[in-house]
Amino acid sequence: MTDPAPALAAPDRKHTVEIQRRSFIVGAGGAAATGLLASCASNATEPPAAKLASDAAVPFRGANQAGIYRPAPQQQAACFAAFKVLCSDAADLKSLLQRLTVKASLLGGGHKASDALPAVELSGVTGAPPVNSGVMGEDVPAAGFTMTLGLAGSLFDNPAYGLAAKKPRGLTDMKVFPNDQIDEAWIGGDLILQLCADSSDMVHYALRDIMKATRGQLQLQWKINGFHNAPRPEGAPRNLFGYKDGVVNPDEAEQLVWIGKESSQPAWTEGGTFMVVRIIRMLVEFWDRVGLGEQDNMIGRHRASGAPLGMAKETDTPDYSSDPEGTTIPLDAHIRLANPRTKETAGSRMLRRGYNYELGVDLNGNLQAGLIFTSFQQSIQDQFEATQTRLANEPMVDYIQPFGGGYFFVPPGVRDANGYLGEGLFA
Amino acid sequence: MLITAAPPATMDDAVSAYHVYVTARLGELRQHALTLKAAVGNADVASARQAWLAAQQCWQRVGAAYGSFGDLGDAIAPGSRGLQAGSADPEFSGLRRIEYGLWHGQGPGELVPVVEKLLADLDALDAKLPELAVDPADMPLRLHEILEDAQRDHLSGVGDQGSGMALALTRADVEATQEVLAMLAGLLESLKAGYPAALDAQLSQLAAAIDATKTTEGWVAYPEVPLAQRQRVNAAIGRALESLALAPALFSTDD
Repeated sequence: MTDPAPALAAPDRKHTVEIQRRSFIVGAGGAAATGLLASCASNATEPPAAKLASDAAVPFRGANQAGIYRPAPQQQAACFAAFKVLCSDAADLKSLLQRLTVKASLLGGGHKASDALPAVELSGVTGAPPVNSGVMGEDVPAAGFTMTLGLAGSLFDNPAYGLAAKKPRGLTDMKVFPNDQIDEAWIGGDLILQLCADSSDMVHYALRDIMKATRGQLQLQWKINGFHNAPRPEGAPRNLFGYKDGVVNPDEAEQLVWIGKESSQPAWTEGGTFMVVRIIRMLVEFWDRVGLGEQDNMIGRHRASGAPLGMAKETDTPDYSSDPEGTTIPLDAHIRLANPRTKETAGSRMLRRGYNYELGVDLNGNLQAGLIFTSFQQSIQDQFEATQTRLANEPMVDYIQPFGGGYFFVPPGVRDANGYLGEGLFA
Repeated sequence: MLITAAPPATMDDAVSAYHVYVTARLGELRQHALTLKAAVGNADVASARQAWLAAQQCWQRVGAAYGSFGDLGDAIAPGSRGLQAGSADPEFSGLRRIEYGLWHGQGPGELVPVVEKLLADLDALDAKLPELAVDPADMPLRLHEILEDAQRDHLSGVGDQGSGMALALTRADVEATQEVLAMLAGLLESLKAGYPAALDAQLSQLAAAIDATKTTEGWVAYPEVPLAQRQRVNAAIGRALESLALAPALFSTDD
């Protein structure tokens, strides 16, 4: 958003926002300030990634889960891991969610070898294989780690768990849009973990640690690792097409992400959000053979500065009303379709928090690389799908191939020591 | 199966029970190898494949994980790893070599000598078996390594030489593990109450998950098994392996 952001602590949420910010060990000011990155050019001189030291802890507890709006500077490394849930019944599912909660809290807090571990972490057998893989050393730093848990519709549909009445409205299977080329190997799963940290080794450590603890209850269905680029040279980072991406993200105070009290959703969902993951192959070789003018017109921005076409700075607001024919920014440019900046479309904006990926070599010798598009919103239909529908058949579709991902509901956060992720399912 | 009496009360008793068990399995394996030799000699591929599977499963039930029985054991069913020409290497021998031939159109000319060598190796192992002391420290290792091998070599697809029988072999590995568990159950119970019962339940779950993949046609190659069923097998073996990994430490006296 280019409008000045309203005060961060909106009345109905100020409690948790302030707690989170206060307990932010490193860069608390940065966390608050970079939330306004999209709208304050002055922040562009402070790369958000640099704000987090490797021992920074992101608070696990709060009204909302971490890994969405906190930490405000997106971590550099991520893993999106979708699992089949193999719990035998609701009680077993509850124990799984409790175990994942312990893991998220422990991993996010960092712990020293000398720190006591909860009993559930210990085998009780002297000389048993170490509980810690050692990848992060004996003292595990917090490394800005966050685990964000999402549940797919299939989990609510499974009669073994009896959760049909708790299913959030609009939690459908992932919609297949025109131009999508879905690969069965890259969809499905009942539960997703978005693991983010300041380093790839921490992400690996966490996934391995979590899987070891949940071996019989979770089976990995698909997983993909992502990396977040540093700003080049400043402002929003560039995607693999070389364009600044994520310039415009709604601030938390705009209330487009968290499910509120007044929603038509089941009560337990308050403080949760919907998560969309779309794995989008980007045909980077093809893209690199396109002239700069055509590239700019497809995106709607100048590649060098990131500014909307005809403007100077990436944070400048395009004025579509004085460009009704699309002479400056084509009517089918990506940024114009994605966010037409009208009153009618303002509510379809969402928080994007994607990561780039690389996956080796395609059959044709090209790089398999692209974007793990990730968005958080109150309604998949009114926000993500409405936006994606506007984007159908944009000129850029020749250069991208969405092939996997899913829709998930992210339960509210854990507020106290006895709470656990998804506890509202069993209330 | 063989263990009809009360579970062994000491590790020495467990080792003795294992010896008796292995001797009986090797006798069965010899019979399967003779059947195999006849079928290969008759160029009866269907019967030969059947006999190979019976022999290979029998060998899995011996539970000869991680090179127990030394070189004599290694000769029975080595993999093709580390050979310059892989499965086509002239040095490749044993049960997996026969599998390779039977699923790659090879006939008696190529395979009879391999089966004959197998029989000679079995005789050699059988003759030496009384002298091959099983280290008591090996028993708890065996308890978890048989299934580690199953996951590493069978379910990964790495060891397959064309038969696609990973699940049949893993199922035999579960039986071997259940046998070793029965031999160690009394000792384990005294070291960690409830542990052998928990292992037993997890191994039963694994066996059930594997059996559920079987169709009226028989065993299905692992990659062809529907994902949902594979996930059940992978989850069950994963859970069992995590539990079994505690066994060696329970017997360890180094602390």
